[in-house]
Amino acid sequence: MNNTLRTWIKDGLWAVAFAGLVAAVIRFASGLGAATGLTDATPWGVWIAFKLCFVALAGGGFTLAAVVYIFHIESLRPLLRRAILIATLGYSSFVVSLIFDLGLPWHMYRIVNWQDRSVMFEIAWCVILYLTVLILEFSPTVLEHPWLQHPILQKIAHWLHQLTLPLVITGIVLSTLHQSSLGSLFLIMRHRVNPLWYSPWLPSLFFTSAISAGMMALVVEGFIMERWFKRGMRFELLTLLGKWVPLPLGLYLILRLSDLFLRGVLPGALDGSWQSILFLAEIFIGGVLPLILLGIKKVRESRKGLLTSAVLILAGIVSQRMSLSMFTMYQAEGTHYFPSLSETAIALAIPAAAILVYLFFAENLALLGAEIPAPTDISTLDDPAAFAKQDTPGRAIFARRSGLAIFVVALALPLMFHPPANCNSQPTDPATLTKALEILPPSLLSSPASCNDRAATPVTPAKGWDVLTINGNNANYTVRFTHQDHQVFLTKELGSEEAACQTCHHLNKPGDQATACSACHTDYYQPQSIFDHTIHETTLGGNTSCTKCHSSVEHLPLTSVICQNCHTGMVPQAGQTAFNMFAPSYLDAMHGSCLACHIQEAQKQNKPELALCTTCHPNGQSQPNQTTANLPKP
Amino acid sequence: MKQVGLLVDVTRCIGCNKCVDACVMANHLGAEHHIPQQEADGLSAQRWLAIVDAPQGGFVRKSCRHCLDAACVSVCPVGAMHKSPEGIVLYDKQKCMGCRYCLMACPFGIPRYEWDSPTPVVGKCFFCYQRLSEGQEPACVEACPQQALTFGERSELLNLAHARLRQSPDKYLPKVFGEFELGGSALMYISNVPLDFLNFNGTLGERPYPELTWDWLSKVPAVTLVTAGLMTGLFWIIGRRMQAQLAGKTQTSQPPEEGK
Repeated sequence: MNNTLRTWIKDGLWAVAFAGLVAAVIRFASGLGAATGLTDATPWGVWIAFKLCFVALAGGGFTLAAVVYIFHIESLRPLLRRAILIATLGYSSFVVSLIFDLGLPWHMYRIVNWQDRSVMFEIAWCVILYLTVLILEFSPTVLEHPWLQHPILQKIAHWLHQLTLPLVITGIVLSTLHQSSLGSLFLIMRHRVNPLWYSPWLPSLFFTSAISAGMMALVVEGFIMERWFKRGMRFELLTLLGKWVPLPLGLYLILRLSDLFLRGVLPGALDGSWQSILFLAEIFIGGVLPLILLGIKKVRESRKGLLTSAVLILAGIVSQRMSLSMFTMYQAEGTHYFPSLSETAIALAIPAAAILVYLFFAENLALLGAEIPAPTDISTLDDPAAFAKQDTPGRAIFARRSGLAIFVVALALPLMFHPPANCNSQPTDPATLTKALEILPPSLLSSPASCNDRAATPVTPAKGWDVLTINGNNANYTVRFTHQDHQVFLTKELGSEEAACQTCHHLNKPGDQATACSACHTDYYQPQSIFDHTIHETTLGGNTSCTKCHSSVEHLPLTSVICQNCHTGMVPQAGQTAFNMFAPSYLDAMHGSCLACHIQEAQKQNKPELALCTTCHPNGQSQPNQTTANLPKP
Repeated sequence: MKQVGLLVDVTRCIGCNKCVDACVMANHLGAEHHIPQQEADGLSAQRWLAIVDAPQGGFVRKSCRHCLDAACVSVCPVGAMHKSPEGIVLYDKQKCMGCRYCLMACPFGIPRYEWDSPTPVVGKCFFCYQRLSEGQEPACVEACPQQALTFGERSELLNLAHARLRQSPDKYLPKVFGEFELGGSALMYISNVPLDFLNFNGTLGERPYPELTWDWLSKVPAVTLVTAGLMTGLFWIIGRRMQAQLAGKTQTSQPPEEGK
């Protein structure tokens, strides 16, 4: 790998991280709904899936610590520091990702409330404590740096060395608990998780697969670091990992498959759907195949064979985490989740930043352990640190990075602020909108740029109630109103669905999309006041607010502005603006709205019975009949 | 305090939505925020109660069940979802950190989130707790023109429900929905149409949901002790053996050196 390629890769990582930064600003400014693809039906998404992967890949930290310190397998010690660094970065990514994912991250300290029935409570505490342990475990390596040779710091390093064993054991206990608990997290979602991924043994599955993933992440990292630094690979150690990984991986596969068989899920669930194909690929290509490959000594001890097996295992376990928590999660409910642009940007920026931090540490610390001296002798050839010092002055790198930052931010901003494609909002006069936003109470306001804005969508089609049962005067005399038929008919007649809806839903209450007739026409016989003066007065600021609506000191309805000046969502028909303050009685509204159309249609279709009083009021009843069987369809 | 409950008689509901209006007024809920890509059942962070159409016909109330052993209460890591002494599932937005585990865990898909707010909170029915403390009934119960909703002590409501089932067995399905499902809930239905469509995947069984997690979580102290003990023990045993081995090696390797 030459310097140009390294620079390109690093710049790429920086670009991804910058883009994530832009997305983060959007996420905190406009809320989760506008920045992500998450909804009430799909409350968890790619961030959770990535978090599960971070922790799984960080499983090497506690595995290596156990192997070296507890099992006294000293030959693997050179890998320990890297394992702990990867784990530290994995868990840091988890915590950083949590800040974006939580709705109110500044309430995180509330975790001090004891909740022993909550898995997430347990995970939170384990992760916090384990991250602390990891940082303590890694800090002696940092304190070796020539810049940090202060006596006090060295004393701290000495103490930390003394503490190694208790730290290691604490770390193993905490990891065992939370690696398995990440699986327990999904036990209670039996109704959501796809049956091929659900198992009552999820905790054991997560634990065993995390050990495998952690070991294989070390192998892949070893290969990459060798290419990157042209040093640092102890191939025989990686082979050792490859020799032992079939143990946890085999256990994981046996547990997973036997559980599915024992509960009778397995043969039945393989129905040829894409989920079952994904499952088979995950088990065979990401599990059984590398298991066989690693079982063959010749393959295991060849570079290509080991790397291929490691990548396959990682792919299998990442696929298990992602499928469980994201890909197949919402299939049962018929809803679909797809992460938005800014959501993906944040999700990718976190690992990108973690890799950059890793490279920084790898360039500046003796990661391979104290017994292997940092290879200063070969660094002059191809070491990026030396390259930076010799060929490019620091300022040049800084200038290039800041240029890159500006470029990425400029590119990302318009892309991410672009409204979602499925927003069917109509163009609204910006001036009216601003005015409406000024006056509406804050509780009624949402982000105006998102498509949740009500002002932009005056009337949405009805949810498809076929027949409404109208009980106008609450006397249990109900009129069956064929809503759907009227909707279809009026749409055909008037040419547009919107016009059809507006025929009856002529005035929407603020925040409503299709206000029911009964919302304003409440009393059967009396006209109703639909304007609540008190609410308007208080929300607009009490006594000082009069002039916001009234043009003169005289507080009369005549001197006030009309409702739709502020509530742009209201769509009064022509001639109905007089109903600013008062709604007619239910009776009048019904006769006014229904009868006019009935008479018109009776003439048009030559069906006089449509407009006869007795059609609705048979036998001279004052109340309409309960059935409309004798009514012809419009 | 005795467990309170709410009985819904689906056959009486005429779908007038007055309960929804009353709920909005009583709880000062804001505008309904419609999120397009979401399957709308009428519930949102601003609509805690909805009347939905049953597939077989009829109007059915959809709102929080107030399960006796509630999944949302058990999963909440900060105790924002909690039970009142009367057995009502309450939500404390001061404690909530927004992990949305309650949304994921609820087997009825009830809690909703303020997705469009930078400081979002969860919205769900809490039986108008503030009105109960003033001695009033929940707003929806008061507003219902059909007496389809009855609020009271859960045991009494069960008696009432079974009495109605006995009285007109041909009118109802022979079952009080919510009596036993998932350990029972405070919101119960008697109905002429099956209500399984309100759950995620048909039948849910009678075992409370939190027990699914508790099976494992109860083992945490044991796992902690066993792992810690095992690791310390292994460290000590293997360490001693290796020392002995090392000592043996040096013993066997020493004589020839001495011989030289």
